[in-house]
Amino acid sequence: MHANLINAAVIGYIGATGLALAYLVQRQDLVHRLSVLCALAGWAAHTVALIVRSLELGAPPLGSLPDAISVAVWVIVLLEVLIEQRTGLRVLGAFVLPIAVVLGLKATSARPGTLVPALASAWIWIHIALAMVGIAAFVFNFAGAIMYLLQERQLKTKRPGAFYYRLPSLQTLDRLTFRTLALGFPFLTTGLVLGTLWARAAWGSTFTFDPVAVLSFVAWLIYAGTLAGRAAAGWHGRRAAYFSIVGFVTLVLTLGAGLFLPGRHGS
Amino acid sequence: MPLFVAGLSHKNAPVALRELLAVEEDKLRELLHDLQSSDVLREVVVLSTCNRVEVYGVAEAPGEARALAFRSLCRHRGVDLATVEPLLYTHVDADAVRHAFRVSASLDSMMIGEPQILGQVKEAFALAQACEVVGPHLHPLFSQAFSVAKRVRTETEIARHAVSVSFAAVELAKKIFDGLAGRAVLLVGAGKMSELAARHLVEQGAFPIYVANRTWARAQDLARALSGTAVPWDELPTALAAVDIVVTSTGAPDPVITRAAVTRVMHGRRGRPLFFIDIAVPRDVETGVDGLDDVYRYDIDDLKQVVDANLRERAREAQRAETLVEREVGKFLARQGDAEVIPTIVSLRERLEEIRLGEVKKTLARLPDAPPETRAAIEALSSAMVNKILHAPITKLRESSRAGASRTWQEIVHELFGLGRRP
Repeated sequence: MHANLINAAVIGYIGATGLALAYLVQRQDLVHRLSVLCALAGWAAHTVALIVRSLELGAPPLGSLPDAISVAVWVIVLLEVLIEQRTGLRVLGAFVLPIAVVLGLKATSARPGTLVPALASAWIWIHIALAMVGIAAFVFNFAGAIMYLLQERQLKTKRPGAFYYRLPSLQTLDRLTFRTLALGFPFLTTGLVLGTLWARAAWGSTFTFDPVAVLSFVAWLIYAGTLAGRAAAGWHGRRAAYFSIVGFVTLVLTLGAGLFLPGRHGS
Repeated sequence: MPLFVAGLSHKNAPVALRELLAVEEDKLRELLHDLQSSDVLREVVVLSTCNRVEVYGVAEAPGEARALAFRSLCRHRGVDLATVEPLLYTHVDADAVRHAFRVSASLDSMMIGEPQILGQVKEAFALAQACEVVGPHLHPLFSQAFSVAKRVRTETEIARHAVSVSFAAVELAKKIFDGLAGRAVLLVGAGKMSELAARHLVEQGAFPIYVANRTWARAQDLARALSGTAVPWDELPTALAAVDIVVTSTGAPDPVITRAAVTRVMHGRRGRPLFFIDIAVPRDVETGVDGLDDVYRYDIDDLKQVVDANLRERAREAQRAETLVEREVGKFLARQGDAEVIPTIVSLRERLEEIRLGEVKKTLARLPDAPPETRAAIEALSSAMVNKILHAPITKLRESSRAGASRTWQEIVHELFGLGRRP
């Protein structure tokens, strides 16, 4: 049941991605509308899948990393539709949805997993949920940074190409990366703090060499540095965009470590 | 009744000839009345602009109608028909519909996407309407042409990207800044070009405007004209720190804005971009500023390059517009064609029904004692045969009308079934 639903959701997201890319090339309203419809249809299936999963498990669908990633994808797609609606930034889907699809494909392989009873407590669920919302926000931060660099390149080289016409202004894009950073950072921070506290309670040690813990701390440092740079030193634009990209790459490595390396977060 | 368009345009006729043939409105009225009263043309619209002279009409013999129309046009303007004749093109039926749509949508214009042509077509149509020379053929044609033009304008970006240097600069500013409302502009030098660019920026909400010029009086004049403030030449560096967009157009032989000056200014701006529009030759802004973050410098050649890219973008969008037009032509012909073949279908049906009734009557007269079942069977048999026979020609007529070639098929049907002259 869950497998079918999650497959349907990912198929919806793949369709939405294809259409969003087509919209980037063709800019036909109809194509964009179909893309949003596909994304919403996939998201509806995804919602039901998550409900089914929690009923099956009798716990939040966050017990294994693939399941948690599935929740992150769910948040990404929701945010994608909302941000496009709010800002009229219709090309956003073409940059964000492919990432959602890649992450979503990982989620389809998830076997139902839950935490060892010793671990299960409300705090651990909140730790995972907050971290996932943070990751979702940083996907947008990353997409905004990529779009900023593309547009800046176009303007600096003085040779307008496809992206010059399709992407919004530099200031709009810089604001998008700043706001998504400001949104994701508190979630990531709280998520990490809870995780650390929980580790102390569960294992008695705050910090052992766990790859996910280490890498996510590195990502946190990068994002904290960017935020501080923005706030105090007036960082913006290209420099902030580079940091966003490095931060996101670290987050992806973190997820990869969780999926493929042994450790407290591994399955 | 064939629809046709005949005329000449910027594509094949030199401007010297086009200006000779351009007709003013009251003469146009006369011409329209003459043409319609000739019996050769049923309906007629004449489009006369500086880029094209075209006659849209409905006539049994388009060739004859075209000759008549241009003969009177030439007579009126004192032009020898022989010089015009070889330049004329004629499109009939589907091609005429396509031409009308393309012209209205500005796909056939000298500058693709220019907005004037639609207004000119509307005027030409309104005039013909006022003269009561349009009817059931040209009316739907032009109404749909207007809606096609509107769709092309809203659904493609054929008219969106600037094709002039000063508008291209405004568009660039919009790709740097989040809207132009409240962006401060500094004009350095008081040339005509920079005034034009400044006006475009003001129209988009840029404010306030500062003007710096070596001659104080000229700075004041231009500042007054733009509702801006004149800035003493020595205060240029200070002014640079306060503005977002700088338009330079001095006649100075050396750059008046140096990389060093801009570097100093950028420190205090906290990432607020600075956009230089340098339309002076020789250039006023050192090219070295390109290496600075958040500084964007476009000189006149860069702007021309942007305009070229915009033109290419328009051409790409025109391709999409052509597809849209093609679909609309199909729709128009289908609607029109159905309306056109219906009279033929009706008379064909009536003719066969007439034959059937006649034959049934004769047969029944010869069978006075036939039981009611037999009579009913004969009725049913004959009806079924008529319907079977009708099926293929009716289908063919409808198909041909969609393909825009119904006339030939209508004629064939009229000949074969002896329906008399085609309506």
